Amino acid sequence: MNEIIVVDKLTKKYGDFLAVNNVSFIVKQGEVFSLLGPNGAGKTTIVEILECLRTPTSGVALIKGMNVKDPSEVKRIKRLIGVLPQEFNAIDNLTVYENVELAASAKGSRNVKDILEALGLWEMRKSAFSKLSGGLKRRVGIAMALVGDPEIVFLDEPTTGLDPEARRETWSYIRKLKKSGVTIFLTTHYMEEAERLSDRVAIIVRGRIAAEGDVRRLVSEQGGKTRLIFEDLGERAAEALRGKGYEVEPITDDRTVVKVSDKSEVFEVLSILRGLSIDAYPEIHHPGLEDVFLRIVGSKISERGELI
Amino acid sequence: MLLLVFGSIFGGPTPPNYTLYVKNLDVDHEGRPGVLSEAFIRALNESVFEVQLLKPGDPYPRSTGFAAIRVLTIPMGFTSNLINATIVNRVDITVETIMMMVEMAGDQIPPEARASISSSMEGINAFRGSMPAGVMTLTLEGSRDDRVLQPIEGIINTIASRFELALLNASSTIDVKTRFNDTRQLRSVDYYLPGYVAAFIMTNGLIGVSSLVSDMRRRGIIKLLASTPVSRTTWTMSIVIVQTVASLILLSVMIAVGWLVFRIAAIPDIYSIIVIILGTLAFTGFGMVIGVSLKEVEAVTALGNSLSFPMMFLSGALWPLELMPPYLQDVARLMPLYYFHSALRETLIVGSVMTATFPSLIVGVMATAGILLAISLTKWRDF
Repeated sequence: MNEIIVVDKLTKKYGDFLAVNNVSFIVKQGEVFSLLGPNGAGKTTIVEILECLRTPTSGVALIKGMNVKDPSEVKRIKRLIGVLPQEFNAIDNLTVYENVELAASAKGSRNVKDILEALGLWEMRKSAFSKLSGGLKRRVGIAMALVGDPEIVFLDEPTTGLDPEARRETWSYIRKLKKSGVTIFLTTHYMEEAERLSDRVAIIVRGRIAAEGDVRRLVSEQGGKTRLIFEDLGERAAEALRGKGYEVEPITDDRTVVKVSDKSEVFEVLSILRGLSIDAYPEIHHPGLEDVFLRIVGSKISERGELI
Repeated sequence: MLLLVFGSIFGGPTPPNYTLYVKNLDVDHEGRPGVLSEAFIRALNESVFEVQLLKPGDPYPRSTGFAAIRVLTIPMGFTSNLINATIVNRVDITVETIMMMVEMAGDQIPPEARASISSSMEGINAFRGSMPAGVMTLTLEGSRDDRVLQPIEGIINTIASRFELALLNASSTIDVKTRFNDTRQLRSVDYYLPGYVAAFIMTNGLIGVSSLVSDMRRRGIIKLLASTPVSRTTWTMSIVIVQTVASLILLSVMIAVGWLVFRIAAIPDIYSIIVIILGTLAFTGFGMVIGVSLKEVEAVTALGNSLSFPMMFLSGALWPLELMPPYLQDVARLMPLYYFHSALRETLIVGSVMTATFPSLIVGVMATAGILLAISLTKWRDF
C-alpha cells in the first residue's frame, strides 16, 4: 500500500511546553491508523497539524507528498481530507440536512443525500441539530466529514462522551467507511476502540511515540500470554501446573491465574487438572492492546482518558 | 416595532389633544354653574382641549411623566358680567350705527327729527352708563418650563373672542381655511426611521455578529470550517453578505411599515442603499473584530453592549442632536453611528446626496477598516 501520510521528526512546542516530541510514523492508503494515548499526550495536536490547522515547530508532515507547512499546498490538502474534530459541534439552529449541506458547500460538493442515506440520517434530515442525541450528533459530524468524498478522514476521539450503544453504533459506521477504501486516521484513548477498528496503531504518551505497528503483531509480541483465571484452584493443583512449567500466580485469596502461550496449552492445563480429579472452568483472558500499553508504558488509561 | 411605538407616540397623523383643567368659580349660591361659563367650557372642550373640571376644594393636579399641567380659572360673576358687557357692546354698536346713518343722511333728515334722535341717543347712553360691566380676566396657570403655555393662551383668547362675537349675534367675517397640498414636511417619524435602521444595524453588528462569531469559535465551528478549503476571507464575506441582506430586508420592512402607517417621506434610492451596505460592512466588521479578539463569550457580549448602548443613545440616532447639551453633541460626533445615521437620513429622507457625501465617506472608511481588520484578525490556523 502507498504511504498517504508521512510524519517525520515532528515537534510542536506551545511556549516552553513540548506537546509533540520528535514523532515519526507513516499511514498507508486505505488503512485505519490509530493514535492511542491518554489525554494530553499530543494526539489532537498531531491531527491538527495534519489538518493544516496548526503549524509544527519543526519536522515534516506530508499528506500525499504535500507539506502541511507550505501555504501553496494547504488548499489542495484540505480538498483531500474530511475532519471530525474532538468535541464536535454543528450549528444548533440548522437542521441535519442544512448542516451537512453547509459542509458540502464548503468543500464544493453536492453528495449530501448519498451521505445522509449511507449513515442512516436521511429520515431525520429535517430535525434540528440541537434536538439530536449525542450519538446522532456525532453521526452528523461523520457525515460532515465525509461529504466531498475525502481520501483521508480524521476522526479525533469520535466516541468520547458517548454511551456504549452509541459508541458501538459509531464503530459500525467507521467499519463501513473502512470498507469503502477511505484512509481513516483515528485518535482515541479507548483501547478497545483502537483494537477493534485499527489496522495499525501508534501508542503515544507525553508527546512521544512509545510503540507503533500492526495491531495483531503488537499484541502477539508485546501483549504477553493468555491468562486462565481459576476459582479455588488449590495448592496441590498449582504445584502440579508449576511442575509442568506453567506460570501460576495467585491474584486474590480464591483466584489464581495460569498463563499459557496458545490454545493447545489450554487443553493441556485442563487435562492436568482432570488428572487430579479437578473439574475447573477458567475465565480465558486473551492479551490485547491494554496489555501492550501496560507493558510498554507501565500504566493504564482510565475511562476519562487519564493515565492511571 | 420601535418605529410603530415611537412613531405613534410622537409622529402619528392625529392632532395633539391638550388636557386643560378648568376651575369654574362662576356658580350661584347653590353651586350651579352660570349659563355662559358653562357654555364657554363647552366651547373649550369642542376645540383642541380636553377639559377636566376641577371642583371647589379639589387639590391642584399633579403632573405625571412629561404631561404639563395647565389650569384655567373662570372668575365669579363671569355670566352676569358677560351679559352686561354684551348689552353695553350692543348699545354702543347700535348708537354708533344710528349716529353714522344720521351723519350720512345729512339734510335729508329734518332738524326736528334730528333733535329727537339725539335726545333718544342720550337717553340710551344714560341707560348704558348705568350698566356695570368691565373686562373679566380668566387666569391661565402653568409651569414656567411649559413652552406651550403661551400658544395655549392664544388659543383660549381666540375661543373667547369667537364666544363674544356669538353673544353679540355677529358672525366672524374673517375665516381661515386649511388646504392640503402634496408637499411633504418632515415629521418625528421621518427622523426616527433612519436612526432606528442605523441603530439596529449597529447593535446587530456589535452584539449579534460578535456573539455569533465568538460562539462559533467556542463551539469549534470555525475550526471545522478552517479544515475545509474555505478561506477566512470567504467566511468573513459570507457573514457580511448575510448581514447585508438582513439589513436590506429590515430597511424594506421599516419603510413599508412607516409608509403604510405614517406616510413617511422615505424614498430609498441607490445612494441610501449604498449607505446601508457601507454601514452594514462597517459594523459587521467591527462585530467580527470583537468576536475574534476576545476569548470569552461573556466578555464579547459585555464589550458589544458597552459600545452599542452609549452609541445608540448619545449619537443622535434616536433623537435630534440639537436636544442635547453642546458637549454631548461633540461626543456624538466622535461616534461611528453618528455618521451612519446622518448619511442615511440625508439620502433616505432629505434626498440630499451633497450633504450625505461627508458622512458617507466616513462610513466608507469605517467599512474598509472594519472588514480588513476582521479578515486579518480572524485566525484560520494556530487558534
